Amino acid sequence: MIDKFFTIVPPWLIVLLVIFNVLLGAAAYLILLERKIASWTQDRIGPNRVGPAGLLQPLADGIKMFVKEDFRSKNTDKFMFTIAPIIMMLVVFTAMAVIPWGGVYQGTLTHESPDAISIPHGATLVGDPEPTGNGTEVVSTYRVPFQVFDANIGVLFLIAVLALAVYAVVFAGWASNNKYSFLGGIRAAAQMVSYEVPMGLSIITVVLMFGTLSLNEITEAQARYWFGFIPAWNIFCQPLAFIMFLICLHAEANRAPFDLAEAEQELVGGYHTEYSSMRLGLLLMGEYVGMVITSAVLVALFLGGWHFPGLTGNVDPANPSVTTSLLEIVLRIVVYLVKILVIIGVFMWVRWTLPRFRYDQLMNMAWRGLIPISLFGMVGTAVVIYFWNREPVDGVLLISGTQAIALLALNVIALVVFAVAAKMLPKANPNRKLQVPGSRFNPTQPATQLD
Amino acid sequence: MKQEDIILVEEPQLTLSDGFYLPQVFIGLGTTMKHMWKTIRPSGDIVVQYPEERREDRPVDEGGMLRPTYRGVHRLNKDMEGRPNCVACFMCSTACPAKCIHIEAGESPWPDREKYPVKFDIDELRCIYCGMCEEACPCDAIELTSIYKLVGTSRQEMILDKEKLLEIYDQTIDHEPM
Repeated sequence: MIDKFFTIVPPWLIVLLVIFNVLLGAAAYLILLERKIASWTQDRIGPNRVGPAGLLQPLADGIKMFVKEDFRSKNTDKFMFTIAPIIMMLVVFTAMAVIPWGGVYQGTLTHESPDAISIPHGATLVGDPEPTGNGTEVVSTYRVPFQVFDANIGVLFLIAVLALAVYAVVFAGWASNNKYSFLGGIRAAAQMVSYEVPMGLSIITVVLMFGTLSLNEITEAQARYWFGFIPAWNIFCQPLAFIMFLICLHAEANRAPFDLAEAEQELVGGYHTEYSSMRLGLLLMGEYVGMVITSAVLVALFLGGWHFPGLTGNVDPANPSVTTSLLEIVLRIVVYLVKILVIIGVFMWVRWTLPRFRYDQLMNMAWRGLIPISLFGMVGTAVVIYFWNREPVDGVLLISGTQAIALLALNVIALVVFAVAAKMLPKANPNRKLQVPGSRFNPTQPATQLD
Repeated sequence: MKQEDIILVEEPQLTLSDGFYLPQVFIGLGTTMKHMWKTIRPSGDIVVQYPEERREDRPVDEGGMLRPTYRGVHRLNKDMEGRPNCVACFMCSTACPAKCIHIEAGESPWPDREKYPVKFDIDELRCIYCGMCEEACPCDAIELTSIYKLVGTSRQEMILDKEKLLEIYDQTIDHEPM
């Protein structure tokens, strides 16, 4: 019954429609959650006037955004000004395509003849169709991922697409014809370039371990157990890479303490100073949807995706991602979304705890802190994995319990090494005076010439 | 400034955990979590939800308003016969640091006092609610009440005259005795 339905409406379309709309609604409600968490940390109650407990606040905000005047100041670059919010939304929703929301569904279909086999779009046949003995009727078994696009280069695709988000910020800053917006755009660009590197390195650490770029396979590899009871999530064997990735996501999402691109105290509103009405709405919404998507990547890479011990992924230990139950698929999507919500909670919690970094601190942290540590972690992981011959299972190299302990030990060693090395590093001097010709700090020029 | 008055302060050295950011970050996260928990736990509601809940309805030891000492809108007290206590001595308008009390004295129609206020205007927009007038008054005529809701549509409306101030006395005397 449901299998027939899938041949008409393929699962990827269902996932696309459901997740797209859920994300749009979630973005609005995440703003409310953000305000609530902000007020709780500041001993306040938060918005509670519109609807019960303030639950209709996002609706009121949405109406406000729509009916406000869409103002564009005189000398803006009209094309780029318009396209920036569009890019913002486009990028985050494109990245959504490769997130493995619900694993793989396995179903069976009865066809009238071996020549007229029709399976859902995006599905693959498992084995040959078998005759049922009733005339020419055959039964085929198919597998279809509950994911918009099961790309075998999923991770690569994500890095590529998410890096495009900076274009929106830079375009918005440039097109506004406003010094503050422009500064915000420049800051965002430099920050992205710096933080892409440790982010990529920590992703490579994970990719190295499993020898695959498919997010679906990476998630499936984590839906197993070490020593029979510890879930084989990457956070337990690569905690350092997890923390590096989490920090980089804060920077990628332009959120505090890395929100230099929209630092209210210095840059008015940063890159969206000149934006109003729904254009501003799209930029803000893009930011929140981006947060959901990057958290989804984090969950898929380090927190086992839809897997939760005792709840999901226990049907077939040899092939954890395949399930024949649709209830299981729904449960997996719920587990996935809950994990994302937890990560977003951490994002917000961090935002209302930490003050913003100074710009040189931001750069120092990326180039002197995150990049060396994640590079060390990546090379170390590569060495461990190179000398530990592993047989691929279904094309994926799995990590055994002892290997996980070795990798964990490697992480601890990395921490100790950098604790020692940090003491020996030359100190940065952010207040040194640059001896630029023409600068008033230049001792080679007599003071009289400066006036 | 003399040389020996100058104190050179050493910049505190970063410890290892400071240098790594993360341990200190976790301590900070703990602090905010403590505050979050304080607010969202069932008995953690310490804020007065103003329009629904008012400070004057709460007991004083639970953050309620202490009516006798609250400094809100003024009133002019009356005696037993309904006459204003004020004898137009100008003590309050002299003591007023904001110069918001304007009194015009006239000859008293009653034999027990020489003067009485013909006009007694208080500009509630200029008033800083310091309570100096109340302290200066020799006949306990002017007092600050616990009324804090004072609205008007024009500046003129916010200048309370004698009739209005006596009316406030009638409104508040029941729950705020002289």
